[in-house]
Amino acid sequence: MSTALTASLPHPAIGLGRSIVGRIGFLPALLVVLVAGMSAIDSQFYGVINILNILRNASFLAIVACGQALVIIAGGFDLSVGAVVALASVVTAKAMATASATFPGNNAVIIASGVAAGLGCGLAVGLVNGFCVAKLKVSGFVVTLGTMSATAGVGLMITSGIPVYGMPEIFVKGFGRAQIFGLPTAVYVALAVVLVMVFAQRRTLFGRYAYAIGGNVDAAVVSGVSIQRHIVGTYVVSSVLAALTGILLTAQVGSGQASFGGDRMMLQSIAAAVIGGVSLRGGVGRVEIVTVSALFLTILGNALNLLHIDSRLQPVFLGVIMVAAVALDELSQRRKSRV
Amino acid sequence: MSDVELSVTAKNRGYMGLPPSQWLWRAVLPIALLVILFSFAAVDRGVLSAANLLNIAQQTSYLALFAMAQTVVILTRGFDLALGPTVSMVSVGTALAMAGATAAGQDTTVVLLAGLGTGFGLGIACGLFNGVVIAILGVSPFVATLGSYNIAIGVATTLSSGRPVQGVPNLYSQIFYGGSVFGVPAAIVITVMIGVGLQLMLARTVFGRSLYITGTNPRAAAVAGLPVKLNLVMTYVLCSTLAALGAIMMTARTGSGEPNLGGSLSLQAIAGAVVGGTSLAGGRGGVGTAVLGALFVTILSNGMNLTRIDGYVQMVVLGSIVIVGVLLDRLRQERG
Amino acid sequence: MDINIDPTRAAPLLELRGISKRFTGVLALDRVDLDVRAGELHVLFGENGAGKSTLINVIAGTFPPDEGTYRFGGEEIRHLTPQHARVIGISPVFQEFSLVPSLTVEENLFLGREISSKGVLRARAMRKRAQALIDELGFDLDPSKRVDDLSRAHQQMTEIAKALLGRVRLLILDEPTASLTERETGRLFELIARLKEQNIGLIYVSHRMREIRALADRVTVLRDGRHIRTLDAATSTDSELVELMTGRKIDLLFPTIPHHAGKVLVDVENLTLADGSVRDVNFHARAGEITGIAGLVGCGKSELIRAIYGLEAIANGVVRIDGAPYEFPGPRRSLKRGVAYFPANRIAEGLALSRPIRENASMTVLDLPAFARFGVLRHGAERTTIAAIMEKLQLRPLNIERAAGALSGGNRQKVMLGRALTRDLTVFLFDEPSVGIDVGAKLEVYEFMKRLVEAGAAVIVVSSELPEVLALSNRLYVMHNGFIATELTGAEKTEQNVLASFFKNHLTADVA
Repeated sequence: MSTALTASLPHPAIGLGRSIVGRIGFLPALLVVLVAGMSAIDSQFYGVINILNILRNASFLAIVACGQALVIIAGGFDLSVGAVVALASVVTAKAMATASATFPGNNAVIIASGVAAGLGCGLAVGLVNGFCVAKLKVSGFVVTLGTMSATAGVGLMITSGIPVYGMPEIFVKGFGRAQIFGLPTAVYVALAVVLVMVFAQRRTLFGRYAYAIGGNVDAAVVSGVSIQRHIVGTYVVSSVLAALTGILLTAQVGSGQASFGGDRMMLQSIAAAVIGGVSLRGGVGRVEIVTVSALFLTILGNALNLLHIDSRLQPVFLGVIMVAAVALDELSQRRKSRV
Repeated sequence: MSDVELSVTAKNRGYMGLPPSQWLWRAVLPIALLVILFSFAAVDRGVLSAANLLNIAQQTSYLALFAMAQTVVILTRGFDLALGPTVSMVSVGTALAMAGATAAGQDTTVVLLAGLGTGFGLGIACGLFNGVVIAILGVSPFVATLGSYNIAIGVATTLSSGRPVQGVPNLYSQIFYGGSVFGVPAAIVITVMIGVGLQLMLARTVFGRSLYITGTNPRAAAVAGLPVKLNLVMTYVLCSTLAALGAIMMTARTGSGEPNLGGSLSLQAIAGAVVGGTSLAGGRGGVGTAVLGALFVTILSNGMNLTRIDGYVQMVVLGSIVIVGVLLDRLRQERG
Repeated sequence: MDINIDPTRAAPLLELRGISKRFTGVLALDRVDLDVRAGELHVLFGENGAGKSTLINVIAGTFPPDEGTYRFGGEEIRHLTPQHARVIGISPVFQEFSLVPSLTVEENLFLGREISSKGVLRARAMRKRAQALIDELGFDLDPSKRVDDLSRAHQQMTEIAKALLGRVRLLILDEPTASLTERETGRLFELIARLKEQNIGLIYVSHRMREIRALADRVTVLRDGRHIRTLDAATSTDSELVELMTGRKIDLLFPTIPHHAGKVLVDVENLTLADGSVRDVNFHARAGEITGIAGLVGCGKSELIRAIYGLEAIANGVVRIDGAPYEFPGPRRSLKRGVAYFPANRIAEGLALSRPIRENASMTVLDLPAFARFGVLRHGAERTTIAAIMEKLQLRPLNIERAAGALSGGNRQKVMLGRALTRDLTVFLFDEPSVGIDVGAKLEVYEFMKRLVEAGAAVIVVSSELPEVLALSNRLYVMHNGFIATELTGAEKTEQNVLASFFKNHLTADVA
C-alpha cells in the first residue's frame, strides 16, 4: 500500500491558464462599447461607405491573423507575413502582366497564372520557414526575422519599388472591387477562410496536433505525433494566407505594390492574435476570437480616423489601448502561481 | 532526478564547463567574419584600405550599441520592439529642445544640456514604461513593446510634424560625431567606453549576475530573494537609455532631428545580437556577442556596398545570414 | 548476474540484453539485461540516476539504445518509435511529459491515435470509447475537462487511462501512486491484479518498500546504470534490496536526532491564505527541534510554509519570527530575518540549471558584504567560500564551475543545502526534501538536518512520506483540507493516530 497520503478533495483550481474565458468575456464587450460609442458620436461611422471600408480592411487583417494565430498556437512565430503579402502582390501582378503579353485576351489563363504565382510564393516562403524551424530547429522568431528581410528584398528587387500594372479589368473591377449582395468580395473570402480554419482547428487531426505541439511538444513526441510535418504545415498555411491577402489587396487597388503589408501588418496580425486570446506560449487560442479581435482593431483605427485624431497621434492611442487591454486581462487573471 | 530529465537538459542547454573542442566552435563566427572580409577584398582591394576599415568600425559602433541594448533585455528573456521608434523619438526631442534653447538665447552649454537632458529623459521614460508594464503589470514583452512602439512613433511624428527638425548646434555634432580622440572617431570611442562599462557591469556586479540568473530561471531567482521585478524595470530602462545614446550619436551625424531615424532598427539590433550568439531563451550573451554580431552584419553590408551588389539583394542576404548565424550558434551549443 | 528462472513460465515477454545508452558525457545505461514475463509485475528498483527512467524510455521507444538487443514477444525489435511501441502493445505511464495541458482528457487519451477519417476527427466515436474506458477503470474522470483544470491526482489517472487505451501487452508504470488517494491507489492495485490475470506484463518503477512488498513478483536492482541483481520478491528482505541499490550497508534509514526544544522561533496565528488553501491555522516551531507537518497532497502544508517565507498571499492572520511580527513576508526579507526555504521542485523554483554550481549556491547571499560590496561581486571570496561549503557537503566531483544541470538529484539538493551554510539562518523550511533523491543522498540530507538542530535552529519539515516525517519530527502537525487536524508528540506520534485524524475532521464526504 502506498505510504504517501493523498488528498480526498481535489486541489484548488490551477489558475493562470484560462485566459480564453477572460478574453471571451472581455473583447466582445469592448467591441460593443466601441461601436455603440462611435455610432452615437459620429453618424458617418455607420454610413454605408465607412462600414464597407471597415469590413474590407478587417477582412484583410483577419485572413493574415488567422494564419498567424495557427503558427503561434503551434508554438511558433511568423514575422514574415507582412513581407509575403508584399511579395505575393508583386509577383501576382508581374505574372499577370507577363501572361497578358503571352496569351493576350485569355483572361482565365492570365488570372489563373497570376493567382497561382502569388500563392506559390506563399507556399515557397512557408516551406522555407517550416523547414528551418522543424528540421534545423532554429526558433520561429529568428527564422522569420530572416525570411522577412529576405522576402522583402526579393519583392523590392522585382519591382525596384515601382507599382506593377497590367492586370485584366475583370480581375480588378469584376472581383477585387466588386460587391456581392452589397458586401465586398474580400469579406466573403475572409469568411470562407475563417470557417475553414474554425473547422480545421476543432475537427481535424491537423488542428488538434497544432494545439498539442504548442501545448506540450514533449507529450506530442512521446505520443507519436509527427512534429516536423505539422510545424511545416502551420508555416505554410500562414504564408499562403498572407499571399492570399496580397492577391486580394492587388485586386482591390489595381496594382501590385511592394509596399503592401509590411511591418505594420505583421505587427497588427500578432496584436490581433494576442488580444484575441492566443497565448504566446502556445497551445491556447481560438480563431473565431482572433477574427473578432481583428475586427476590433480595424474599427479602432477607423474610429480614431473619424474622430479626426491626428493621424500622427493615432499610433499612440493604438499602443495605449492595446497594452491596457492585455494588462487588464492579466490583472484579472492573477491567481496563485503553482510549482 | 530522472535520467530523462538529465538527457532533456543535455539536449537543450549549453554547458559552462567547456571541453577543448568547444573553443573551436566558438571561433566559427570570428573566422567566418574574416573569411567574408577577405572574400570581398578579393573582389575589391579597397575593402581592406585603412579608410574603409575605419568606416566599418564607425558603422559598427552604432549597430553594436543598439545590439548591446537589446542584448541586455534579451538576457532576461525579453526584447524591445520599440527600440527603433525610441531612437526616432529621442532624435526629434533632442533636436527640438536644442532648437528651442537656442531660440531662447541660451548659451551653448545650456543648449547642449537641454538637448541631452531631453534625449536621455525620453529614453528613460520609455524604458520605465516598458519595464513597469512588463514587470509589474505582467504583460508580455512583445505586447508591451509593441504598444510603446506605436506610442513612440506617434510622439515622434507629432512633435516633429513629420519633418526633420533643424537647429542642431555645431558643437553638438562635433562632440558626438565629427570629433575624435587621438584620431579615433567619437562614435567608436563612445561605443568602446560603453561596451567596456557594460561588460564590467554584466560580469562583475550583482545586477549583472541577477540578469543572467533571472533569464535562466525567473522563478528560482524570485524564490532565492533576488529583486526580479525591480531588476527587470532597470533592464528596460538601461536598454532605452542606451538606445537614447545611440540616437543622440546618430542625430549628431545627420545634423537634424529625424522622425524616422529608428526605422527598422529594433529588428536589426535583435538580429545583430542573435547572430553574434545571444540566445532569445535568455541567460546567454553579452557585450562580446553583441559586438561580434554587429561587426558581422556591418562587414557584410559594407562589402556588398563596395562590390556594388544591389540594395535589395543585400536585404535577401542579410535575412539569410540571420538564420545561418543562429544555426551555427545552435550547433555550437549542441557540441558543448 | 543472478536471475531466478521459473521453469514453469514460457519465454519472456520482454528480453533486453546488453543495453547501453550514452548521453553527452553521461553513460546512463551500461550493458543492462532485463527480462519481464507475461503476467508478472517486475519492479525496477534503484536510486535516482541509476538508469531506471532511461531504461523505460528505451523500452517505450522514446530513444534507441546505443548497443544491445531488444526482443519483445520473441521478436527482435529495432528502430522503435513511441508510436510503434504502442502499436505492438508497450504502454508507458510517465510521471511527466505526456499530457498536453490545454487539451481535454479525451483529446489527450487519443493523442497520436485519434479516430479519424481522412483527417477529420470523429469526436463522438472517441467520446464513447473514452467514457467506456473510464467506466471500466472505475476512475472518477470527466473526459471533457481540460487537463490543466484537473488536480494532480486526476492528471495521473488520465495518464494511466491513456496507457490502457488500445491493446496492451506490457504496461510500464513510473511511480504511479505519487499523487493518488487511498481509494484510487486501491483501485489501481485491483486493476494491476486484473491485468496480471490477463497475462499482461508490468514494469513498476518505485522506491516505496511497502508497494514493492505488496505487488512485486521479481525485483531488478539498478545502480549507476548497471544491472546489479534480479531477485525474487518473496525471498528478499528490505535491507538486502536497499544495500544492493546503494552499494553499502545501511543499518538505519533515519538517524537519531537529539531534539532540545528551546524558544519559539516561528509562531503563526489564525493564518488564512488568499486562495483558501490554508485556513485559520495556529502553528509554532521551536529552536533545537524538528517540527513536522504531514498530510495528504493538497492539504495545504506546503502552502503554509511557503506563506511564512513569503511566496503565498496572506488574507488574514499573524506571522511572528523570533517573537517579532513579520508583516508582508517576501523571500528577500525572510532571508534577512534568517528564514530559508527549500522548494519541493528544485528544477522549477530552485536552480538555474545552466549556471555554474557556484552561482546557484550564492544566489541567496548576493546582498551580503562577504559576497558583494557596493553592488560589485567579490569573485575570489565567493569561489573560496562556496568551494569550502561544497567540500563540507561532500559534493562529488568537487567542481563548482560545472553547470548545476549536470548534477544528479541528490547533488542538486546539496547545492540547495549549501545555501543554508552561506548566511546566518535560524529557521529552515524544507518542502518535500527527499523527493527525487536516492536513499544514500536522503540520509545525507537527514544528517544535515540533524546538524542544524544540534546547532539550535528551528527546522520545519513538510512531507507526504509518512515514515519520513514520523521518524524525523519531534512534534508533528497533521493538516487536512487547509486546517490543522491534530498535533502529536512523543508516544502519540504514530501512523495510526495520523490516519485517524483524517476521519475525525472529515467535514465533507469523500468526494474522490
